[in-house]
Order: sequence, then structure tokens, then C-alpha cells
Amino acid sequence: MSAFPALQEVPSQPVVELPPPRRRVPDAVWSALSIGSIFLVWWAVTTSGLVGPDYLPTPQALFGEFVGLVENGYRGIPLWQHIFASLFRTLTGFVLGVIVGVPTGLMTGYSRVGSAMVSPLMAFIRPIPPIAFIPMAVLYFGLGEVGKIALIFFTAFNYAHVNSHAGAVNVPIAYYRAAESIGLTRVQTFFRVVLPAAIPTIFTGLKVAMALSWAVVVAAELVGAQRGLGFMISDAAQLFRIPVVFIGIALIGVIGLLLNLLLSLIEARLVHWKGR
Amino acid sequence: MHVAESPSTTKIAFRGVAKSYPAKRSTQRATVALERLDVDIRTAEIVSVLGPTGCGKSSALNLIAGFETPTTGAVFLDDKRVEGPGPDRAVVFQQAALFPWLTVYENVTLGVKCRGVPASDYEPRAHRLLEEVGLETFERHFPYQLSGGMQQRVQIARALISSPKVLLMDEPFGALDYQTRIFMQELLLRLWVEYRPTVFFITHDVAEAIFISDRVLVMSRRPGRVKLSVDVHALKPRNADFLGTPEFIALQKQLLQAVQEEVSANGSVP
Repeated sequence: MSAFPALQEVPSQPVVELPPPRRRVPDAVWSALSIGSIFLVWWAVTTSGLVGPDYLPTPQALFGEFVGLVENGYRGIPLWQHIFASLFRTLTGFVLGVIVGVPTGLMTGYSRVGSAMVSPLMAFIRPIPPIAFIPMAVLYFGLGEVGKIALIFFTAFNYAHVNSHAGAVNVPIAYYRAAESIGLTRVQTFFRVVLPAAIPTIFTGLKVAMALSWAVVVAAELVGAQRGLGFMISDAAQLFRIPVVFIGIALIGVIGLLLNLLLSLIEARLVHWKGR
Repeated sequence: MHVAESPSTTKIAFRGVAKSYPAKRSTQRATVALERLDVDIRTAEIVSVLGPTGCGKSSALNLIAGFETPTTGAVFLDDKRVEGPGPDRAVVFQQAALFPWLTVYENVTLGVKCRGVPASDYEPRAHRLLEEVGLETFERHFPYQLSGGMQQRVQIARALISSPKVLLMDEPFGALDYQTRIFMQELLLRLWVEYRPTVFFITHDVAEAIFISDRVLVMSRRPGRVKLSVDVHALKPRNADFLGTPEFIALQKQLLQAVQEEVSANGSVP
């Protein structure tokens, strides 16, 4: 073993006093502060009488009304049944729309002939807002559940189809070449490559479809329904029960948020590899 | 240990092959990627292709792979015309085209599984291949959890699992760091000794080309043709000692010069 030169001792330096590290304020604090200040302003503005109760109820009044709704329901129907009615219409239409929309979208995205046949039709239908079809739905299906579900189906189908189509079209060519070179048939490539590769885009479509379905159900209920959150809002507005209107809107917002969250959770499990 | 010479049967043949891509707009002209290729590649031969960017190397590889068809002429595999892609010509891409939703093991075995090969057949082979490339502890990992070099190793395992007759590699080690590249070159040679595929290898690295190949082709700038073909006589298996030998140094000089000529020719952008 060759001799190493003697290691030089580095004289110890005096320890410099560093200022204590600055603690970062957690994000949750800022969010809480922001929401808190909104509530504070709301309370101050309404309780002081700056804004009349006909325009904006006080937080206390709203809470009291909410408790009343939970206990007594609205128009003799328990609150949960209104919520359930809206949810049922939305989820039924959504699931049906997705079941039809995703496979057809994938197929038209994958097959050139399929795309040529279907895309012009979809391009024509897509820009039409689903709300425009409400009178038609009433005409064909009456004021019952079928008409609303049909409307939701149409909405969900539209967005599920478009995004599934985009998902299939945007599969990188490298994947196709890899699939070809390892010997996959066209059918196998569709199910084992195109479908998994398209799932992130499909989920984007599902979230949009869900949000829009939820919005459309409320619109449909505004026109003709006997129960549901949309019905509750329009009925309460006509009777000038303003707090109920606000609560209805808040519930719509919260439930919409929860639905989106649910889809995001499913997506996170299914698509853990996305964006890596 | 010296490996015996492989039998001199032609495995891949380019006959009068030209490839051009049509102009996308009326103001453009058609791009002639390959002017004329007449090349024979022997069974179990390792051929590297050097050349400036855009000289048609990848087009040539795509033609063997069957991803594209020649504008004129034909590519033959065992005297049969190449019609389309297949597992007999496995491809290793520069960007690892692994499927991110499958584990390493699933990526390697997807092709053989889908073609109906029984699991009892491919399972031990998959484990062994992954062991040979040094990834046996990563079988259940996903591609995004692996480094670039590891992903390329998975690609190689995926390519070799069906014991392909031909291995096509398009700058497979280009995106890797120097150390990893050397490891991969030696790995490739080790696997070649065992599986004996015919290898068509595209690279920018002159030293890499000489180190692994039996023959090195230099292509001219676009429109591409074979400008130079040199044999590398050093016997396999080779190791780092080869790098300092007179043959290696001479070849390196000759090939570098040939490539430089093409790169710096009028109007060409390196």
C-alpha cells in the first residue's frame, strides 16, 4: 500500500450564530383566513343592515333556515329526498351516457373509418348547449323522470364521447409501434394499449361530464319538477323564501364538489402513473 | 474464449431501396430520405450505422421493422419481402416506449402473452432475462420509478424475450450518461453471445459503433446512401482492452473523418 500524504488538519472555525430558520406558514392557514374573512364580511354587512335580508340573509338566519329544512323538509318533502331526486337523475343519466359515450368515443378515435362516419355528426351536436334541448325533452317525454334522465344522458354522452375520442387519437405513435413490434393484433392493441393510454383523458371528460350533468339537472328541474334541488330553488324564489334559495345553491355547490372529489379519488387509484 | 464465425447467410437485404416522403404543402419538395440502398447483412452480424442527422438511418431501420414501406425496391428478410412489423424483428427505441400502466415484468411479457405463448414457457425466460439485465429486484416496479438506463434495459429484455432473429436499435443509448452507456454496450455484447440475433444498430457515437460491431456503415447526408463500409476484425467477446488497440484507433480516425465530411458538407446542418 502506498503511503498517503498526511491529512492536513483543518483548523476548527468558530461557529457562526445563524438566525433561526423562518417557519413557513402552512397553506391551510391562508385558506382558513380567506374563508374566515369572507364569513366575517358577510356577517358584518348583513347584521349591520348595510345589505337588506331580501338580498342577502345573515349567516345566522341561513343556518336557522337550514336546520328547519332538515327537520321539516320543503313543501312536505324531506330535504334528503330533494337531494336524492336530483342525484338519482344525474347519476342515472351520467352512468348511461358514459357507458355509451366512452366505448363509442374510443372506437371512433381508433378507427379512421369510424371517425369519418361519426365525427361530423358529433361536431354538429357538440356546440349545442344541453339546456336548449329542455323544451324538446318536455315535448317528447313530458315532465317525468325520463325526460330529465334523457337530457343528462345526452350531456354526459357528448362529453364522454369527445374526450374518449381525443384520448384514443392522442395515443403516442411510439406506443403503436411498440405494440406492433411485439406482435399485438389490432384488437389487442385497442384493449391493451389504446384504452389504458386514453384513461387520463377519459377521466378529464368524466369530470367535465359530471359537472355539466349536475348543472343541467338543476336547469331541467327549474322548468318542470315536483322535487329536487332545482325545483326547491325555483319554488322558494317564487315564494320569496330567500334563505332557502341560498341554501339550495350552497347544497348544489357542495354536492358538485363532492362528486368531483369522488371522481378524482377513483382517478388517482386507477391512473397512478399519470403525469410521470 | 473466442466465438466462432457465424455462417455467411444473408439475413437482411436491401435491394434498390429508395424512400421519399411526399411534400406536405405545394411550396415544399418531396423529402428523399434514402436515395438508393443495396446492403446485405449476414445472420448474427452486428452492423452499426453512422451518419449525420437526417441521413435516413432511422428510415432504413423503419423499413426493416416494417413500420414504413419503401418507395422503390424492397427489403428482404430471409429472402422474403418485409410486409409489416412483427416480433421476429424486435425494436428498441431511443425513448423507451414502455407502457406506463404495466409493471416491468408485465411490459416484458405482454407481447408473448398476447400471442398465446403459455406462461410456463415465457415466465422462466422473463425472469432470466430480467436477471441478466440486472433488474430482477424491479420486476414489480413501474417504468416511471426507473431511471432512463433501467428503462432501456427493460426494453432490451422485452425485445429479447421472443428470441427474435433480428434486433433493431435506434440510438438506444443516446440519452444515457457515459458510464451507463458503457455498461449497456457490454450488456448488449453479452446478450448477443447468448442469443445471436442479427443486429442493426443506429448511433452517433463512433467509438460505440466500433466497439460493438462486426461492420460499420457510414451514410452520406440526405439523400442517404452508404458511403463507407468497414469491417471490424477484432474477435468477440471484446472488452475495454480493445479500445486502445491500433485497429480501434485507426478505425476511429477513419470513421470520424468520413462522418465529419458528411456533416460539414455544404448546406448541411449537423
